[in-house]
Amino acid sequence: MAFDWQTIDPEWSWSEYAPRGEAPWNAERASHLLRRAGFAAGPDTVRRAAELSPKEVIDGLFADPPDDEPFERESRDLSGAVLATGDAKNLAPWWFHRMLHSPQPLREKATLFWHGHFATSADKVNDGQLMFEQNALLREHALGDFTAMVQGISRDPAMLIYLDSATNRKSHPNENYAREVMELFCLGEGNYTEQDVRQVARCFTGWEVRRKKFRFNAYQFDSGEKTILGETAAFTGEDAVRRILEEPASPRFIARKLVRFFVRDEPDAPDTLLEPLAEQLRNDNMRVGGALRRIFASRLFFSAHAAAQKVRSPVELLVGLLRALDGSANVRVLADASDQLGQAVFRPPSVKGWDGGRAWINSATLLGRANSVRRLLNDENTRFGRGGLVELARRFDQSEPSRFVRWLATLLLAVPLPSDVERQLVRLAERGEQETNFREVLYSMATLPEFQLA
Amino acid sequence: MSGRCRMTTRREFLQSALASSAVVSMGGAAPSLFGKLASAETRGDGRVLVVVQLTGGNDGLNTLIPFRDPEYRKARPKLAIPSDRVLKIDEALGFHPSLGGVAGLLEEGRFAVVPAVGYDGPNRSHFESMDIWHTCMRKTAPRRDGWIGRYLDSAKASGSGDLPAIHLGPEQQPLALAAQTLRVPSIASIDRFRLQDGDDTYDRVKQLVESPRESATGLLDFVQSSATSALNASRKLEEIARNAPGAAGYPSTGLAEKLATVAKLIGAELPTRVYYVMLDGFDTHSQQAAAHAGLLDQWSGAIGAFFRHLSDLGHADRVLLLSFSEFGRRVFENASEGTDHGAAAPVWLAGPAVSAGVHGEPPDLTKLVEGDIPHSVDFRQVYATILERWLNTPSQELLGGTFEPIDFLRRA
Repeated sequence: MAFDWQTIDPEWSWSEYAPRGEAPWNAERASHLLRRAGFAAGPDTVRRAAELSPKEVIDGLFADPPDDEPFERESRDLSGAVLATGDAKNLAPWWFHRMLHSPQPLREKATLFWHGHFATSADKVNDGQLMFEQNALLREHALGDFTAMVQGISRDPAMLIYLDSATNRKSHPNENYAREVMELFCLGEGNYTEQDVRQVARCFTGWEVRRKKFRFNAYQFDSGEKTILGETAAFTGEDAVRRILEEPASPRFIARKLVRFFVRDEPDAPDTLLEPLAEQLRNDNMRVGGALRRIFASRLFFSAHAAAQKVRSPVELLVGLLRALDGSANVRVLADASDQLGQAVFRPPSVKGWDGGRAWINSATLLGRANSVRRLLNDENTRFGRGGLVELARRFDQSEPSRFVRWLATLLLAVPLPSDVERQLVRLAERGEQETNFREVLYSMATLPEFQLA
Repeated sequence: MSGRCRMTTRREFLQSALASSAVVSMGGAAPSLFGKLASAETRGDGRVLVVVQLTGGNDGLNTLIPFRDPEYRKARPKLAIPSDRVLKIDEALGFHPSLGGVAGLLEEGRFAVVPAVGYDGPNRSHFESMDIWHTCMRKTAPRRDGWIGRYLDSAKASGSGDLPAIHLGPEQQPLALAAQTLRVPSIASIDRFRLQDGDDTYDRVKQLVESPRESATGLLDFVQSSATSALNASRKLEEIARNAPGAAGYPSTGLAEKLATVAKLIGAELPTRVYYVMLDGFDTHSQQAAAHAGLLDQWSGAIGAFFRHLSDLGHADRVLLLSFSEFGRRVFENASEGTDHGAAAPVWLAGPAVSAGVHGEPPDLTKLVEGDIPHSVDFRQVYATILERWLNTPSQELLGGTFEPIDFLRRA
């Protein structure tokens, strides 16, 4: 039977999941949480998570590590080297290093979400430093204050350059940013008029980028009265953002995108289902952390309505494959592969970001996914655990061929392995020299339709 | 996965196996046999539609230029094209100077334009307006498929193998091609459109992908059928790429490269009815003049070379090309020497079948609606013409209404 949101009770959906007989807290559910609220986790992490309570695991996901955390130092050193090259292309490998190794995978995942939301492309901005600063802005607020994020992005040089709004004169207000701030960032199409676009554009006159910095040019600012969303005043740009975020459509719009990204691709959730989350966002003054926690702790999130109901994005596919097996790889190879599969980070296809869901999948990307996994497995820098797959499997006492196949499936797949497929893979695992064959099994499993879902 | 779907997949697979084995066994002589196979399968005498989408909102007013109109020069103090540089079509209208290739096609009687195409209540969001053009539906209706996808679904009874349409390019697949029962492949480049491993891997992956699943959610079923069609299509195209002769005379641009590949595939007489390519970059909010000239040059040069190539191959008569953009731009230029999102814009058609020339009145720039050119033709009238008179398919159900055709095709 086809899924229908109308049959799902909103109150049930967002009430807290409590482990029960028919919905136990186990490795499977812990894996689901760690895949969605991050990029998947290795066997040790999953086992530890299953021994804690869901709440403890979620608290851990939101915890801030100390600033002198070794990973952050390493990432800062890398970013220094990347920015010194002046080439924005080197930023993508840097971010892949973070997504692959960060001890705070949720913050990275949410940063990726906001990058798709406030999509800006280095192809046009053409300045590594500005793209890096925007990325830092998104990371800073990723689990926090949405209003601060929109105010920040409205004066973010990379965004203004991307939307042709680096100059904005009183005599000819540029409508581009005004439109996108309502259509794509805060309200969604249909929740404002063309008149609102023109009026909001006037609020942003005089907002400029000079020498790579935001500057307010009072001389070019239109200080007259404007009517935005039915309210008239001598609004400034900040006022316009504030006014837009007061609309009831705004928390609904954000809640809908969060549910689509973290819970279920399709169909889009109806307003009634979103209302409890939207209300939480309103009560939290548009701070997103509370709503996100509520999502991850919810019955809906741990139900069959969410499991395997997302298509893996290229980043989730590549980073997920490695993280699930404590892997590491040449991050340049990862960034290139993701680009070819349709998700070039720092270079989204348009200001709308990536559509996600079924749009990730077509003939070319499916063949490309298989080829990327092959390339990754053939690359000499690709490691699992401290070395090979066989060694990793032995460490967990899972190297016997049929156990290996089942173990790999529980680490990688959000749905059970079909029995016919399992038999074929076991036969493959039984052939000849082990590391080559185990990698062949991994390749085959990664090309399954099941692995394309998360 | 439902039984019905699996049967379809299996039938498609058999057809593709048949088609590719024909190519393999016949070597160089394959195309003509393949051609018979194709025309026996298709309703439209092997007719092909090629869509070239201009993404970002092409400035129609600086493409098809009312060069004598004082209102045009008033609205475009910096961006107006001087009269002496316009490639004149008639007393009122002319092409942008970069459109030499297209002007040549018009002279040969192979180019037509409908000047002001759009729809009621124009939406100025790129994405929303593009979705409207692709699906013929407003946001309030569920958009499960696109107008071409619905055509492919409806034509499926006559059989079209697993390549009913092809999207060529690295972009996300256009919603216009989304169908309920078929999967249209998107191909970034034919060289990369295959598994980079030997036949052993191909056979094993295929067997794993096609193994029966006990229960499949909507998404899993979708991925599985997409993977099956990807594997079949890659085999077939690999054979064609191996056999097709090279193409010469194209400019070295991305669009030209795509259209050269399309011409090769048409020449190989694939049963494919629709090819879809895109040219992005038309969102010219600032410093428009140079960027727009470059894009038009790329567009016009590629289309000109494409039809020369098709004529050489002896397949031009089978091809109708449609080019459109999600909207035009504001009549008045902005402060950044660019133009903002507008409403109606020209739609372009090319091929030996067109009735050459301008079909409709040039827009009256004294009668703007909110600073924009209003449409005189609904875009679904263009689609209806193509469906009814080129693809021989009733259009009412596919477009969700009856739309009067425009006479831009010669009557056979």
